Amino acid sequence: MKKIIYVLIGLLVIDLNKPLLAKTGLPGLVRSGQYSKGTLLSITQPDPVQQSIDSVYSVGTYPLYTPELAKGEGLDIVQGYCNLCHSVTYITMQPPLPADTWEAEVLKMIDTYGALIPEDETRQVIVYLQAHYTPETRRQ
Amino acid sequence: MPEKESGEMSRRYLLKALGGGAALLGLSKLPSAMAQVSGQAIQPMPGFTGPDANPYWGAVGPFVIYPQKLPLIQLTDRPVQLESPRHYFLTPFTPNAAFYVRWHLEDIPNAVSLSEWRLFVEGHVEKTLALTMSDLIKRFKSISIVAVNQCSGNSRSRFQPRVPGAQWGNGAMGNALFTGVRLKDLLDAAGVKAGSLQVQFEGLDRGRGQKDSAVHRYKKSLNLDDPVINESIVAYEMNGEPIPMLNGFPVRLVVPGKFSTYWTKSLTWIRVLNEPDANFWMTKTYCVPDTPRGNTTPKDVRDSLVKLVPVGTMPVRSFIIIPDGSGKIPLEMPVIVRGIAFSGSGRVVSVEFSADDGAAWSKARLGEDYGRYSFRTWEVTWIPKHTGKYVLAVRATDEKGNTQPDEGVWNPKGYLWNRIERQEVMVDVSQ
Repeated sequence: MKKIIYVLIGLLVIDLNKPLLAKTGLPGLVRSGQYSKGTLLSITQPDPVQQSIDSVYSVGTYPLYTPELAKGEGLDIVQGYCNLCHSVTYITMQPPLPADTWEAEVLKMIDTYGALIPEDETRQVIVYLQAHYTPETRRQ
Repeated sequence: MPEKESGEMSRRYLLKALGGGAALLGLSKLPSAMAQVSGQAIQPMPGFTGPDANPYWGAVGPFVIYPQKLPLIQLTDRPVQLESPRHYFLTPFTPNAAFYVRWHLEDIPNAVSLSEWRLFVEGHVEKTLALTMSDLIKRFKSISIVAVNQCSGNSRSRFQPRVPGAQWGNGAMGNALFTGVRLKDLLDAAGVKAGSLQVQFEGLDRGRGQKDSAVHRYKKSLNLDDPVINESIVAYEMNGEPIPMLNGFPVRLVVPGKFSTYWTKSLTWIRVLNEPDANFWMTKTYCVPDTPRGNTTPKDVRDSLVKLVPVGTMPVRSFIIIPDGSGKIPLEMPVIVRGIAFSGSGRVVSVEFSADDGAAWSKARLGEDYGRYSFRTWEVTWIPKHTGKYVLAVRATDEKGNTQPDEGVWNPKGYLWNRIERQEVMVDVSQ
């Protein structure tokens, strides 16, 4: 008798674990018609550039999609100097880098790439990057 | 008549469900949370990866739209670096509109006037040339080649420890039919003087740093005695179209088998040199350790034990494109695993596939051969025999006997990655 009850309970459990059939009764359908709010991002179809017969082959401007940098001391200086030669996407794209790697990167910009950054500001840029973009400090 | 069949099928199921299933409504509870992809649409990927290796096939970044391009994955926006999403590699030819983009300097062409543009062949030559696009099209014999263009830093985001630079996933590569004129024909027309050593290439891009800084202009050189000189072409067409502005309109150098660093975009100066090019882009960057696979360690770099040489030929690589792990596979369903393979040093002769993380390998079927420098597609019909997690792997071998190792590589600039690629997939019951 007990055995039969266990079997019945077992069957009930199996039944309860079956996927819920949708109201339409479509076989096997577990969930349908679910939507959730997405984020409207920047991908819109571009309007083609107007072309003319003037020997110039043009594609128009290149769009900028630059994310915001972490808020904190030195942000204005970073925006001001780094942006002269490249967008600050060059910062956010990197993986979290050790503090000494960031220092080397900033010095490379000056010594190799010819960035004109005064000494005080150079220090502030390095401190800012180390404060927000190392494995220990990076949040965004 | 598949449509009719499926119509009958659903009617049959519908009747069955109405009879047997309706009684269960309201009784059964929802099963535990399932591996659904719906969450991917609302929850974006993280904006960066690291300090561990990037676990995704491609780079992480937003999809963005640029002129003449489909939505591509943005690495940077000024200068522009865009990665091709994985599924564009299902075909041997990468569409121009999906072809990756990588510029070094901020000041890149938006518009070029072909009435004023000239291709100059100058330097250590008998006669300086200034050629129009029309000259290139009409005065010289046209030649076509299918070739893979891959960034030296493709897959840099796999490096451990991570290195600074463009954090490419696997999509900083593409394959196209390039048409143009032989570099050799242009050099012959100008007459290379005896004692010449290298040819330097320079495009229309410029940096914003001080004019006398090392990197104001992007210049690359090839040795005149490198056999690739005879195979290189100055291309004005890519897949039968003018070259997209972001890929180097009006002409770009094509250097088959070599990394893209030599494929100068918006090429405007071809300069014959009688001394080795010591500029920054040849000696300070795009250099790899002079070791097997360009491999070294952070310690050896710190201890200055590493001799660096210019990066050159692309090592053999192969990729699994589908399945991509975004859905489960029903047990015993014969699915087609598909991908591409290529090598800079010779034709791909064998692609092997493993469904057990590299323990056992079997030969894949190779697709059409478009030449030794092209992507070669491959496929395998795979029938999963048990449920659970599988790790698929692929490795290619070229005609020189080079094959892909199962170890990563490390060097300070993040070049030459070619480890065996893997894809995890889940197999679930089919009844």
